[in-house]
Amino acid sequence: MKRIKNSLRGKILYSFLLSIIFISLSFLFVLGASIKLQNVADKRFEDEKFLNNILSYLNEIQEPLEDYLSIFSSASLKKLLDATESLEGYIPNSRPILSNKRELMKREIFFLIDSYLIKVDEIIKDKRGRKVYDYSRGFEELSVLYNYINKKIQDVSLQGFQSQLAEYNSFLELFRNVQLYSLILILTIVFISFITLIRNVSIISDPMYKLSSMASEISDGNFNIPDIHLDSVSEINRVAGAFNNMKNGINNYIEKLKEQKGIEQDILAERVRNLKMEQLLKRMELYTMQAQMNPHFLFNTINTGVQLAIVEEAERTADYMENLAELFRYNIRERRFFVPLRHEFQGLNSYINILRIRFPNSLKIIIDTEDEIIDKYECPAMILQPLVENSVIHAFKTKDSLGTISISIKYDSPYLRITVSDNGIGIEQSVIDGLLIPHTHNYKLSSKVMGLENVIQRCYFFYPEQENIINIDSQLGSGTKIEININTEVEPCIAL
Amino acid sequence: MNNFLKYATFFLTTLLFLLFIIIVKIMVSSPFFFEKHDLLNEKSFHYSFFLPGSNYTLFNKIKEGAEDAANNMNCAISFHAIDSDPLSFALLASTGVDGISLYPLTKDNEMIALFNKLSETSIPVIQIENQIVKDENTFFVGTNNYESGKSIGKLVLKTEKELVNLVLIYSDKNPGLYSGRTLVEMGIKSVLGHKLGNIQMEKTSLNPLDAERLVYDLMRNNPSTDIIILTDPNDTMVAVQAIIDLNLVGTVQVIGFGDNEIIKEYIYKGLVIGSIVRNPYKIGYTAVMALYEISINGYTSAYVDTGINIITAENLGNNYEED
Repeated sequence: MKRIKNSLRGKILYSFLLSIIFISLSFLFVLGASIKLQNVADKRFEDEKFLNNILSYLNEIQEPLEDYLSIFSSASLKKLLDATESLEGYIPNSRPILSNKRELMKREIFFLIDSYLIKVDEIIKDKRGRKVYDYSRGFEELSVLYNYINKKIQDVSLQGFQSQLAEYNSFLELFRNVQLYSLILILTIVFISFITLIRNVSIISDPMYKLSSMASEISDGNFNIPDIHLDSVSEINRVAGAFNNMKNGINNYIEKLKEQKGIEQDILAERVRNLKMEQLLKRMELYTMQAQMNPHFLFNTINTGVQLAIVEEAERTADYMENLAELFRYNIRERRFFVPLRHEFQGLNSYINILRIRFPNSLKIIIDTEDEIIDKYECPAMILQPLVENSVIHAFKTKDSLGTISISIKYDSPYLRITVSDNGIGIEQSVIDGLLIPHTHNYKLSSKVMGLENVIQRCYFFYPEQENIINIDSQLGSGTKIEININTEVEPCIAL
Repeated sequence: MNNFLKYATFFLTTLLFLLFIIIVKIMVSSPFFFEKHDLLNEKSFHYSFFLPGSNYTLFNKIKEGAEDAANNMNCAISFHAIDSDPLSFALLASTGVDGISLYPLTKDNEMIALFNKLSETSIPVIQIENQIVKDENTFFVGTNNYESGKSIGKLVLKTEKELVNLVLIYSDKNPGLYSGRTLVEMGIKSVLGHKLGNIQMEKTSLNPLDAERLVYDLMRNNPSTDIIILTDPNDTMVAVQAIIDLNLVGTVQVIGFGDNEIIKEYIYKGLVIGSIVRNPYKIGYTAVMALYEISINGYTSAYVDTGINIITAENLGNNYEED
């Protein structure tokens, strides 16, 4: 019911029906008053008619009675008897005593007519009995009564007319008052209807203005305006709800589009980065190939040198050359990123043998490991030899005493710890800090980037999430300790 | 704008309901809507009252008392003028009334014949103030004229004169007292005895100024008059004014009739010795009550004395002085 009342149709229908009902009621009032006036007039008219009829009946009795008494006319007798019978039937038998003066007078008249009719009957009997004196005196009395009844009826009529006149005047006054108030009533209803109409129009038009201004805002691209909440008819409220949904839907769609655009930009950036990486790798591959060309040539040359040394029976030279050849062969052979630790260790041994031939008295190399560890784990290719080489080249530059290089390969679950330490001159902290900076993709490798830096950057490359993959602990004049910690439980990042 | 529309609607709706209420109230309060109820107000008995047609306080008060009694006892009364409408009285027996109450003016043969005719119909008749017929169907309600005479005599005694010459002025305005004048005079004589010198009877007509003329004549023709006794309130006021005009205040005393404010003021000022007061309202009320009793029980007291009061400066009390 409330939903119907709050709808546009309901409101219009409701206002219309209400106006019609009120106007009808006011018209009914006026109509009722008019009908009442008519009823009052009719009633008085009926009373007058009734009293006049009584007078007629009395005349119809009185005149024939006189004729009957004078000339003994049977026709007159019949006539008066008929009139008597009619009058008897005409006046009411029930005569309640009412407080109204006019009704009391009418009641008295009815009783007087009763007496009159009795008297008529007596006179007729006296006439039939030839009692001249009695019917003569009776007629005299009857005439007095007849005149008295006539006078009474006239008094009642006059009184009725007077009260009717007074009643009519007061009724006219009442009727005018009712008409005046009815007119004001109708005007009020018209005003109410008009105001209700304006209100209903406002209920529709005001929200429409709000909706149109909101649409303008949205058309200007401002989707962040708050939802519109209207207190209007249900249809308009529904339109506002749909409008809010549309605005929010478009806003969400635009947000999704922006989000997708961001993702696409990220993907594009990632592609660019991958392209750069690919270029870098290709370049590295090129460098590697270039670097491999010389070792192959050198390896063949060194093998030739080994055979020449064997022919010339120079055993130390042959041994040196053979180890050098082994080292080169390892370098050339291993093209994988990760290799068994055993292979790496063998490559290192070849290099150490060369060093022992080169520095038989000034360099001491200590290796601390276990075969079980070496056979079990893998490590990035070409990391041990460059570390030892770094120590050999830089640690003892200005030192005359015996240099010691300790190589340790241990397993400290889950880490495989490869340590190369020396008792050389040490490295300055600023150099260490520079070495331990991970390079970005934009870093341009030069052909000179080799050795320790190469090892460090490759370790960062393979384990980007592990901060302690490599540590350098150095004291100037006391030595340097470089430690690589490979987490055996973490897969190295070798995919491009 | 919305507020204006809201308040305008509220105001107009209130006005609308007010108008509805006003219209309904006007229509309902008009006599037309309850006319039928008035007509349907059925009464138990219908009585006819025959009073002199003169518009005097005495008869109006009797009428008022009768109407109040009729309302209280659920009876209807129709009033007739006994002097101007004798035919109605003559034909009364044929009007279907349950009882008659009349104020007889004369005791002539015609009136007695009508009474006899009424007696044949067994319709009970109450005679007010003046009892001209005594039979089983006629009753009396009013004041005892002999007692009225005695009261006048007592007031005369207050003058403390050894011998008083009285002028007793009856009036057509109070016919009951005039018709019972013999009893009145007997009452006066019974009280005054040897102190009563001469007593002169006069009568005023219905003319309200008749008493003034009469007093002037009396004072001219009978200067030995000590006390003038009046039997009508209007005559009392006019006579006192004449005494004042003739500069006879104190020389000629006045005994008045009635209890209106002017007479009370005269008594308080000493212009009037005292006033005889009957209770016409009670007379009218008692008459209806007696008829009702007869209608219900078939009998009532044959003689009901409604009593009289005497107003003097003493019993007027201090209240009047304060007023």
